[in-house]
Amino acid sequence: MHRLSVLLRNKPGALARVVVLFSTRDVAVESLSLSPAGADGLSRLDVQVRLREGRSVDQLVHQLRRVVDLCEVSAA
Amino acid sequence: MNGALALIKALEAVGCETVFGIPGGAILPAYDPLFDSAKIRHVLTRHEQGAGHAASGYAQATGRVGVCMATSGPGATNLVTPLADAYLDSVPVVAITGQVARPVIGTDAFQEADIRSITLPITKHSYQVTDPDDIPRVIAEAFALAASGRPGPVLVDLPKDVLAAPAGWTEPEPPVVVRPRLDPAQVRQAADLLARAERPVFYVGGGVVRAGAADLLRELAERTGVPVVTTLMARGAFPDSHPQHLGMPGMHGTVAAVAAMQKSDLLIALGARFDDRVTGSLARFAPEALVVHADIDPAEISKNRRADVPLIGDCRDVLRALKASVTTGGDLDPWWKYLDGLRTTFPLGYDWPEDGSLAPQYVISRIGELVGPEAIYTSGVGQHQMWAAQFVRYERPGSFINSGGLGTMGFAVPAAMGAVCGAPDRQVWAIDGDGCFQMTNQELATCALEGLPIKVAVINNGNLGMVRQWQNLFYGSRYSHTSLGSTPDFALLAEAMGCVGLRCSSRAGVDDVVREAMAVRDRPVVIDFVVGADAQVWPMVAAGTGNDEIMTARGLRPLCDSDTGEDL
Repeated sequence: MHRLSVLLRNKPGALARVVVLFSTRDVAVESLSLSPAGADGLSRLDVQVRLREGRSVDQLVHQLRRVVDLCEVSAA
Repeated sequence: MNGALALIKALEAVGCETVFGIPGGAILPAYDPLFDSAKIRHVLTRHEQGAGHAASGYAQATGRVGVCMATSGPGATNLVTPLADAYLDSVPVVAITGQVARPVIGTDAFQEADIRSITLPITKHSYQVTDPDDIPRVIAEAFALAASGRPGPVLVDLPKDVLAAPAGWTEPEPPVVVRPRLDPAQVRQAADLLARAERPVFYVGGGVVRAGAADLLRELAERTGVPVVTTLMARGAFPDSHPQHLGMPGMHGTVAAVAAMQKSDLLIALGARFDDRVTGSLARFAPEALVVHADIDPAEISKNRRADVPLIGDCRDVLRALKASVTTGGDLDPWWKYLDGLRTTFPLGYDWPEDGSLAPQYVISRIGELVGPEAIYTSGVGQHQMWAAQFVRYERPGSFINSGGLGTMGFAVPAAMGAVCGAPDRQVWAIDGDGCFQMTNQELATCALEGLPIKVAVINNGNLGMVRQWQNLFYGSRYSHTSLGSTPDFALLAEAMGCVGLRCSSRAGVDDVVREAMAVRDRPVVIDFVVGADAQVWPMVAAGTGNDEIMTARGLRPLCDSDTGEDL
């Protein structure tokens, strides 16, 4: 299980793109919560995910960084 | 000014000269000012899929962003395959789609499809514009995103009422694009590995073509003496005539290229992504090799094969940095002796069919020899694609445009149409199969009307040949639904669409018919090459097996056998 903390711009489709990426890369989402983050039109997305065996969370983080409206992502 | 005029002005401002598309209800406002544009040529395709692949062919022939346009609903969904294709092959394409008006979005309105959601996994980014004032900025961003970093497709969805609404005009500022900076320590590590390696290989992928780095690759290769292999997406990135070139690796690669990777102690991957069609079984791939992986996309590093030294950057920067750091390498003579032995023992070749029919490989090699390396070649997907990769000799980067990642049958004709729009001074030959040709040949009508004189060589074996080959090898020769029969008559079909239709079914006729096609400059030409149905693509690494098990013909596995020269 990995905990991801994502900072997203509040742009239409930003959340969808992240969630579709999980589905595309066969990442199982255990929990997900979205909340406003400050006043700059940003949202904080906290997700717990389970990866396929042999796949690394670093890889997923790099794939998430390709999302244009994603500002930050960290994994724990 | 309204949103539609802002769109056309913005496209002009970012340097768009050609748009491939089809009008329809929701995109109609955009077509009105497009009618008056003196800077943009619109090519009216016969199917939106044709527009999408044409945009890709244009982009790959020019190195610039290709643009396609479609209306909402079915127009937009017909772009899905080209967008997926451009995504997997990292082609800079901007797709502009009409959308139903904002008040009815989400009501299942006529010709409404949520194209932005549909294309989420196959686009780099997408926009749905809700404020007409945003149009110039969005177009500038879309072009910059498509072309920068790892190139790819970007969708811009425009509701009809946004196009029709009054819009302000602000000159779009080209967005600042940050190019990744190479880590000098990693460059030094890579150069050190290269200096120490005994069996190094440059594993060259499409990224070298996209980066325009072929000249630097050649300089580095010549300075180091390292063998080079070019993947399907990189054919032409290193000249086929160059003595250091071992050809294409992978499922249908040359024995020398496959063996070079498999026996290597250092793979230097340049803009390549360790695709399963290259690596075969990953667990058994290049077991002794250290890996230097250069890619502009950090997400590719260690995705399939762990990189010992990652180099995140544009291939031009990578090659320049390596060239500056690399000293003379080790003694590669034993390595070259082994590889030269394989080259000599297992050159690419083919047998003539026993039934006296025309060998498809002969047709394709003659086209390559007669038409020459200055032309652009496109292909569909299947046996003819592999033979076009094997038997045409490429000398220029970007001169072979095909669907590598997605494997889209029907790519050849529309991609050739796009390529000739972008490079009107070069001959453009689509090497197609009869199965592929029947998926997208309607664009020949577009080519005839628009004066786009592409040549199409249909390698007609009356079958879905690659599928038939797998049925022969792996399904006990049970040819389930792979015969396409003998209609239509492709030469007559070509004539019906305003093209010249030719046919050839004998070895003696091949040169003449190719020359006849080359002499036609005012119309597209289709040559129906009637070839044998039983020809197969060799060598072959069967799916899921290791590259060591490469077969030069059914049952012949030279790298598994002991008599392959030195034991390396």
